[in-house]
Amino acid sequence: MTAVAETPAARAAELRRRGRFNPGDTALHGVTLTAAAAAVALLGLIAWKVVDQARPAIHRFGLHFLVANDWDPGARQVFGAAAFLFGTAVTSLGALLIAGPLSIAIALFLTELAPRWLRGPIGALVEMLAAVPSVVVGLWGILVMGPFVANHLEPWLKHTFGFLPLFRGDPSIFGLLPAILVLTIMITPIVSSVSRELFLGVPRELKEGALALGTTRWEMIRGVVLPYARSGIAAALILGLGRAVGEAIAVTQVIGGNVAIHWSLFQPGDTLASRIASQYQGATTKLQVGSIAYLATILLVFSLVANIAAQAIVRKVARRQPVIR
Amino acid sequence: MSALSANTDGLGRRRAVNRLMETIATLAAFAAVGVLAIMVVSVARRGGAAIDWSLFTKTPHPFSFTNEPSGLANAFVGTLVIVGFATAMAVPVGVLSAIYLNEFARPRVAFLIALALDVLNGVPAIVVGIFVFALIVLDHGQSALAGSFALAILMIPLIARATQEVLALVPQATREASLGLGVSRWRTTLGVVLPQTIGGILTGTTLAVARVAGETAPLLFTSSIVGDRLQWNPHQALASVPLKIFEYSESPDPKDHAQAWAAALVLIGFVLVASLIARALAAHSRRRMGLHR
Amino acid sequence: MTRRGVIPVLAAVAAVAAATAATSLAGTSRVSAPTLKGAGSSFVAPLVAQWQANYKSANVEYNPIGSGGGIAAITARNVDFGASDAPLSKDEFAACKGCVQIPWALSATSIPYNLDLKGRLKLNGKVLAGIYLGQIKTWNDRRIKALNKGLSLPSTKITPVYRSDNSGTSYNFTDYLSSVNSTWKKRIGVGTNAKWPAGIGAPKSNGVAAAVSQTKGAIGYVDVAYAIKNHLPFAAIQNAAGRFILPGNVGIRAAAATVKKVPSSNEVSIVNPPRSQRSAYPICTFTYVILPLKTSKASDLRRFVFWALTGGQQYGPKLRFVPIPNKVLGASEKTLKRVHS
Repeated sequence: MTAVAETPAARAAELRRRGRFNPGDTALHGVTLTAAAAAVALLGLIAWKVVDQARPAIHRFGLHFLVANDWDPGARQVFGAAAFLFGTAVTSLGALLIAGPLSIAIALFLTELAPRWLRGPIGALVEMLAAVPSVVVGLWGILVMGPFVANHLEPWLKHTFGFLPLFRGDPSIFGLLPAILVLTIMITPIVSSVSRELFLGVPRELKEGALALGTTRWEMIRGVVLPYARSGIAAALILGLGRAVGEAIAVTQVIGGNVAIHWSLFQPGDTLASRIASQYQGATTKLQVGSIAYLATILLVFSLVANIAAQAIVRKVARRQPVIR
Repeated sequence: MSALSANTDGLGRRRAVNRLMETIATLAAFAAVGVLAIMVVSVARRGGAAIDWSLFTKTPHPFSFTNEPSGLANAFVGTLVIVGFATAMAVPVGVLSAIYLNEFARPRVAFLIALALDVLNGVPAIVVGIFVFALIVLDHGQSALAGSFALAILMIPLIARATQEVLALVPQATREASLGLGVSRWRTTLGVVLPQTIGGILTGTTLAVARVAGETAPLLFTSSIVGDRLQWNPHQALASVPLKIFEYSESPDPKDHAQAWAAALVLIGFVLVASLIARALAAHSRRRMGLHR
Repeated sequence: MTRRGVIPVLAAVAAVAAATAATSLAGTSRVSAPTLKGAGSSFVAPLVAQWQANYKSANVEYNPIGSGGGIAAITARNVDFGASDAPLSKDEFAACKGCVQIPWALSATSIPYNLDLKGRLKLNGKVLAGIYLGQIKTWNDRRIKALNKGLSLPSTKITPVYRSDNSGTSYNFTDYLSSVNSTWKKRIGVGTNAKWPAGIGAPKSNGVAAAVSQTKGAIGYVDVAYAIKNHLPFAAIQNAAGRFILPGNVGIRAAAATVKKVPSSNEVSIVNPPRSQRSAYPICTFTYVILPLKTSKASDLRRFVFWALTGGQQYGPKLRFVPIPNKVLGASEKTLKRVHS
């Protein structure tokens, strides 16, 4: 990328050394540095402010908050995140379980299998799915998908797979399963578009070499494309997971707001983000506000870790393979 | 001979597996498209049935006994104001950050800034909402400007990344030529390099606007306590389209549902049109810069 | 785009910025009547909507975000008045820094359900508590059957719907359950939010009405105006005199007649009235407006609340809000006089 030719920054350094400098340059440098510093500082400021809001709850409950299954804003004023950690884990991992293979399949279709004239339109359509706002997905989830799930999908699952504790219980339009479906819709575009970029970056020689040896296309994909893109796919999945964990609005519309831990996916539950959305405005005591901010802190920590991990993998992969756009 | 025949024996099975996997992948792609189609058709059908001019010209009348027509005029105006101010806040910060990142920063600093921006992009919108609530609303009350600030935080990484990408595409030779002619650095950057990137900046901004126009969570804490009258003062909390859709989606009244579908149709329409414009702008500027896909 | 292109773009941005600045300044001076902004209880929202339409001396804006939200909003002085069906607790009074609560409306919490029945469902406090504790799980449970002889009940599962946000209606409902059922009182208690053992949560009165109407076999608790507006059948609840009463104006008036004396905090509870009130509906509540004692909008607020307490009450009966009894009215007016600028 940067061979013998200088980067603009290196050039600037050399000019500074040579003394050809100008107050306008200093001004531009200063203004842009301030903007960049502000953008970076925002990240730290967000973390600090949220933790600061959570302080009454952190002070009162400590790490026990993470395993306590209690949410009593009444006289007892006891709060714990266990039910929401469970709900977040079940819904996000469930969504990833469905969206992951689905998105990879879509990306493979778009890069390897589809006729060229079809790739553009289908690719554009999948990306437009990403453009649908979460509140609209939630609206559709409550009024269209919910009744379908309650009247057709869940009874069928109960009938066919009812021996699993996951699919016992009574069908309802609100619950963990509608939340999983809604999250699947929301994260598929991200995972599939990142996967698509990855598969496009697999060197043609490797693929053609395998095909020349007589492999079928699937064998080529399984033996060349997927292993090559393996770490990138991991990054895509982590990004999708981060998105699913952070989704508040569409989830809170369909999940049913219940504080409990059960096996059945038909039952209502709640996630970290969804509980924040439903309770924050009405929280009256400092401890309740602090507990909700504590949930936000957990959410923030998780999304930061997921994001940094994904970004690290993406950068490692990008360094390895130059993407020809 | 035997090796070849062994190969052809297995070939049928391998071909079958290949056919199977290709079918699965194709079905998956069409499933995704199918779900999108179902959702968009739902919104189009139900929203289209309920949409009329009063949606944009009348304000809500909950619990009204007279059956006067109601609409969401205050929400549309509110969204315009909030997103407008958010764009005005985010574009300078995003563009200037990208200029620093690409033109001035040393490689390691550039790496850290780019990483920070990408991580900022991944912060959940609801956490941003809580942040702005704690920072501004607790002391100064709700306002459209607070909502704009929250949306701007979501827009900055997108605009910065888009700007940085187009800046990197400007050939180094252009800068060298300008500097070699004696033009100062700042004039070079602003007068020679930046104009070539306007297309990319517009693309990034349009995509960012499309993204935040539909955001609900940040506005939930910053601009949600609103009345039903038409207002546009940014120092007050203003209604917004996504929040109204959210509110009506949880209502039992079918009339509210109809309005929610209509507003969702307008919102999706706007977001899709904006994405298409951004895509066209990107293709246009790529063509102008002489790149081929 | 050449350098020439940058200047028109910058000029356009500047023009847009100037235009928005101008309209924002114009927006503030456009309003002639004063604006009073309130938020809170969704329970009282139907009546406040009537007041908004009929009160001419100010523009009243109201956002029904729930009683908890109203208390939080007025505590942060985000609004000019808050509204809550739940009285402020000691901590909330302290946090609000010089607020008063004034009962300004009176209505009942109905118990809507989603079943196709040939008659009206009859319930009592013990059964309601059993349902919401998750102990009574199906509609044909013998305990429900015992109250509804002659009515054929299906075996559908019961889905209790509760408020997921901090709700004054929840306070009223839990207040009632605590006073008729010692198990409830011990396990759950009274509050705007509780550790609901069973069922699904929905936000705001609208959300509860929506959840009940969309889920077969559901039961909920919501202000009676919402049940009526959404054509939901509601149950007749057994009062202390043993009679099954519907949440109508007669039942509410009888419950409010039990108020003998209003304490200085203005907190009045009228759930589970004594046996002597034979026609009383047992789950009624006053609802309060919360005002800061010291506010720059004191005269406008006083005028509005006084009108609401007197002339405004006439818009209530259609929505099952009964005019507040004179004893309470006197206490409300006395407290209102204390609000000053």
